[in-house]
Amino acid sequence: MLRLCVKAENKKLRHSVIWAACILIPIIPAIMGTFNYQQNLGILTGKWYSLWSQLSLFYASFFYAPLIALYCSYLWRLEHLNHNWNVLMTAPVSIPNIFFSKLAVIFKVTLITQIWLAVLFLLCGKLIGLPGWVPSQILVWILRGTLAAMAIGALQLLLSMCIRSFSVPIGIALAGGVAGLVISNKGLGLYWPYALMLMGMNSNKNEDTLAGHSLSFFLSVLLFFLAFSGISILLLKKRDVKA
Amino acid sequence: MSKIKSGISSSFTAEQQKQRRRRIWIVPLGFLVILFLWAFIGKRSLSAEDLARGYSYTLYQFPLLNVVLVPVMTAVIASRLCDMEIKGNTLKLLCTLQKRSSFYDWKFIHELKYLLIFTIGEGILVPLIGMFCHFTQKLPLPLVFLHVGTTTLVSLVLLTLQHFLSLMSSNQILPLLVGLIGSFLGLFSMFFPPRAARFILWGYFSAFSPYGMDYDSQTRVMSFYRIPFPTETFVLFILFGLLFFVVCRTVFVKKEV
Repeated sequence: MLRLCVKAENKKLRHSVIWAACILIPIIPAIMGTFNYQQNLGILTGKWYSLWSQLSLFYASFFYAPLIALYCSYLWRLEHLNHNWNVLMTAPVSIPNIFFSKLAVIFKVTLITQIWLAVLFLLCGKLIGLPGWVPSQILVWILRGTLAAMAIGALQLLLSMCIRSFSVPIGIALAGGVAGLVISNKGLGLYWPYALMLMGMNSNKNEDTLAGHSLSFFLSVLLFFLAFSGISILLLKKRDVKA
Repeated sequence: MSKIKSGISSSFTAEQQKQRRRRIWIVPLGFLVILFLWAFIGKRSLSAEDLARGYSYTLYQFPLLNVVLVPVMTAVIASRLCDMEIKGNTLKLLCTLQKRSSFYDWKFIHELKYLLIFTIGEGILVPLIGMFCHFTQKLPLPLVFLHVGTTTLVSLVLLTLQHFLSLMSSNQILPLLVGLIGSFLGLFSMFFPPRAARFILWGYFSAFSPYGMDYDSQTRVMSFYRIPFPTETFVLFILFGLLFFVVCRTVFVKKEV
């Protein structure tokens, strides 16, 4: 049944503007990060690592969470419009299937965004003549950032489900990201969901800040994911819809 | 005259009523809280030397934060007010009841109200942070007013764009996407040569920043210097903003609903 729900959710995204966001947004940090790296070759001597620090500097801190929020808002907006809530809630599928199918689609789009970012990173590195291939450690960081998106995806789905406005959850994600930067600098990033992505992606750092703390990171992602998914499913089950 | 007055008052009241219990003021207030937290937490443990240039640092830092926050905030405010017409499919009905230009203007004025909460609030935050962090520098009040004025102006032009996009597109993803891309471009425009940066609308917060920063990577010491106010750029930006508003408004008025 979940497979069928995912299929239905996928159909909702066909020819959607979401793909423009997925393709366009990562291009900007790739170009600008590379430009900035080229301008500061005297200080940035870590080659691929330095290029990554510039590319991920703003992307992970300020724009990754709002991007996921944009995907989630779009997916729920379809239900908020035209009394679709009634159709959704009376469909012969279980509530967890409805929620997890949406989350699966969000994860798919996020995964594509991250793969696209990795491709752009490789292309930019090669264009400016960096030797060899992307270090496997950076690929792990990208993967970790993608995994952190599960927690943010669940949170943003919850927010977009409860808040009928399209834009407010995106504003919350940006504010959360900015606060996340401050909180992670204070060493409390594992307790704030919006800080997990920049920690996972090792944003603006050359050395792995999560070295030795990977287990706590994965545990934090899992706990936030379970908590937000649980609350969402509970609300969907208990609360009356506003169609 | 009384007819005009009653028209204005009914348009104003109609917009006001649409916003009842929508709590839109939470948006600028929320962004102000984030701004305060960022500025306050970063300045809790400053040295005596840093405290002596606390306001310079704050007035340098706020335009940078505005580049990140304001494009998305204006997108959220405009979308929140315009999306109710798109979602409710009320544009056709509204255009038979009032002049399109008046509808466009009043909606914009109400958005401006929320924008002013943010920009004036930001001005109030400057002495507030100084008080909490015990800055020893004398509060440069004229510069605070200048900062509020330029921030309002740049935000107003961004709001013009977002207002237009939110009313023109049936899908609010486009205006929000533009807001996000704008934030990104604005941030990176700070690394551009000044002449190239002038082509990026979202980067103008830093163009009117009253202070610049020098960072010595050897000694790891930063110092702030006063930047003369770019009067010519300011006047040109106002003219551009006015022209931009008129063009956007004309396009909306002529659009098929």
